[in-house]
Amino acid sequence: MTARSFRLPRIPVWIWYMLPGLLVYTAFMAVPLFKSLQLSLYTGSGFQIDTFVGFDNYRRLLTEGEVSQRFWGAFGHTWVFFAVHMIVQNSLGLLFALLLSSEAIKGRALYRTIIFIPATLAIVVTGFLWKLLLNPQWGAVNLMLEAVGLGAFAQPWLGIEGVSLVVISLVSSWQWVGIPTMIFLSALQAISGDLFEAADIDGASSWTTFSRIKLPLIWPMMGVVAILTFTNNFNAFDVVFAMAGANGPPNYSSDILGTYFYRVGIAGEHPVGIPDMGLGAAVASIIFVVLFVGVLVMRTVFQSDGTDD
Amino acid sequence: MKTLRNALIALVLIGLVMPVFAGGQSESNAAAQGGGDVTEITFGSWRVDDVDQMNRLIAAFNEEYPNIAVVFDPTTPPDYNATLRLQLESGIAPDVFYARSYATGQELFSEGYMLDLSDEAYVSERYDDGARAPWQMPDGTQFAMPLVAVSHGVYYNQDLFDELGLDIPQTWDELMNVAQQIKDAGYIPFANGLADEWDIAEVVWMNIAPGFLGGRKARLAYEAGERPFNDDAMVSVFEAMASLTPYLPDGYQAINYNDSKALFLLGEAAMWFDGSWTISEFEASNPDFNWSVFAPPAPTADAQAITFHPDAGVAINPASDNIEAAKTFVEWLSGPTASQILGNELAGFFPMVADAPTLTNEHANDFLALNNGRDLDVRFPWPKLMNGDPSGYTLIQQGSINVITGNITPQEAADQMEAGLSQWYEPAM
Repeated sequence: MTARSFRLPRIPVWIWYMLPGLLVYTAFMAVPLFKSLQLSLYTGSGFQIDTFVGFDNYRRLLTEGEVSQRFWGAFGHTWVFFAVHMIVQNSLGLLFALLLSSEAIKGRALYRTIIFIPATLAIVVTGFLWKLLLNPQWGAVNLMLEAVGLGAFAQPWLGIEGVSLVVISLVSSWQWVGIPTMIFLSALQAISGDLFEAADIDGASSWTTFSRIKLPLIWPMMGVVAILTFTNNFNAFDVVFAMAGANGPPNYSSDILGTYFYRVGIAGEHPVGIPDMGLGAAVASIIFVVLFVGVLVMRTVFQSDGTDD
Repeated sequence: MKTLRNALIALVLIGLVMPVFAGGQSESNAAAQGGGDVTEITFGSWRVDDVDQMNRLIAAFNEEYPNIAVVFDPTTPPDYNATLRLQLESGIAPDVFYARSYATGQELFSEGYMLDLSDEAYVSERYDDGARAPWQMPDGTQFAMPLVAVSHGVYYNQDLFDELGLDIPQTWDELMNVAQQIKDAGYIPFANGLADEWDIAEVVWMNIAPGFLGGRKARLAYEAGERPFNDDAMVSVFEAMASLTPYLPDGYQAINYNDSKALFLLGEAAMWFDGSWTISEFEASNPDFNWSVFAPPAPTADAQAITFHPDAGVAINPASDNIEAAKTFVEWLSGPTASQILGNELAGFFPMVADAPTLTNEHANDFLALNNGRDLDVRFPWPKLMNGDPSGYTLIQQGSINVITGNITPQEAADQMEAGLSQWYEPAM
């Protein structure tokens, strides 16, 4: 006993199991994140960012003329982008999951596949496909509207301020609706059949079954889906880039944080194309903070319902 | 069945392997010609579409200089500036590379990434002052050798013009008149749209602006701060932009550059504002299509001017291990053989040498003929108005889009230009 007290405390075995993961996480996540936060305090030309400017990049982003106008524009549009996904993509995902879990529907495996197929397409393919469908001259969407006598509603969908962002969000929802569907479906299928049997015996209506049994039991999964949607949307870039371009046309109305970050931090403004990497890092840092706070808030909301485990 | 499948697999394998052999063969050719001691230099560019043409150019170079192997290594245009800078900063840049004109090029030179070519005799002997200027520092130091220029104009469908009995419009009013007649006949007057944004600025606004502003002299006056950026002439350019709206395709807000090409090529649109770089693509897509080009109409016929823009120069990387070989190649590029091949292989890119070669491409010659008797200038914002925020380019682009959609008036567009530039451009402050 006395001899032992002079020894160093034994390193717990579990540390060794964590080490590889910790190293990978540090090298590929923590260090770049820290570097990016650091870079946001510097400025310089091109890829040589060596002049310390404190929080000047943040001041420019949040308050200075043209720069802040673009930033706040992109910030607002990202919330719209997120809202459309929450309302359309996740509601449809829940609806599809409820339908697919119902015994009454035949050919469920087929529907499940169909709903999931878009999620397997590359985003450039989706973008190209929908750009063709939405083309004002030869696009199928307008041709169909005309065929059923609704030609007056035919629009240059991607060319109208306010409309184009919603259309792009809907295309993105179309592509990814399979993911929440699968998550909700697996949660619904995990619910014990005894509960439904009991509800049936008690004469519960299908609405009561949904609101009293299914909803509370998949509530934690809704939290997971909301957090996934939130993080994906605030990091989104590709769908706008593929369908509208890096400027988020028309008149920057479909510009989201991802495209704004790409223009500022990576590509530079066409045609000069020299990025302002310090400012770009500041945009990235703000995205990080928004995500961090947002995820914390969402975790609290989706856990505080008293349905913990 | 099984034999068929095996045959297919064999075919696929052959297809996969063939390019490898083909590549090996051409490399060994170059080595054989060089008799073993070959210096290899890389040639960077943003012209990914020109690989075959450039390889023919390089083959001609190797007939004279078998000991220098040149590898053409292009990057896509939107990524070029950033990629090149990254390569230069990390020491893996090409030995010889395409240089952007004006500020973008100047910036690389002042950071030490381009060799000073001021003392190279062939540069000053074979190119005029005007041709050299876009690749000079303010003090006259030559950072790159001029290579090719591009021109701008209005493409028109000759068959359609004949069918409708239309004459080439000289003034803007005549152009509007012609557009109305085309529209009445059920065709789209102009193929241009707004979705890609760069084209409305570069091939419409900058195409017509010199005719409205007063050509090169006017640009110099704006740059010197002698004329405000919202004077009547500037407002008139935006007015002309706004007057195009009724003659653009339905849904022009979402028509992109490729859609415009298709509309014009399919004969649905009669005219298209564009640059000379599309010549070879049109010739390849539809050799029978009967089109030509006219000068952008101006308020009066004698005010017409052409935007003849210095597009690409050639710079040498000072960190290259083979500077002598690079210089030999660049000097050869300024020679008559290279100009002849460049001008004809890259139809629509015009060699900037003083004694320009006679071109064989008919459409390229149509473009060149527009220069006769007209004032020439570069794209308006390029020389001085690019390096600030908001740049002259962005103001022209967004102003053009917003007057076409009717968001703002031409006067407001010009006022925004003055207000935006006076934030950072000293002569305008």
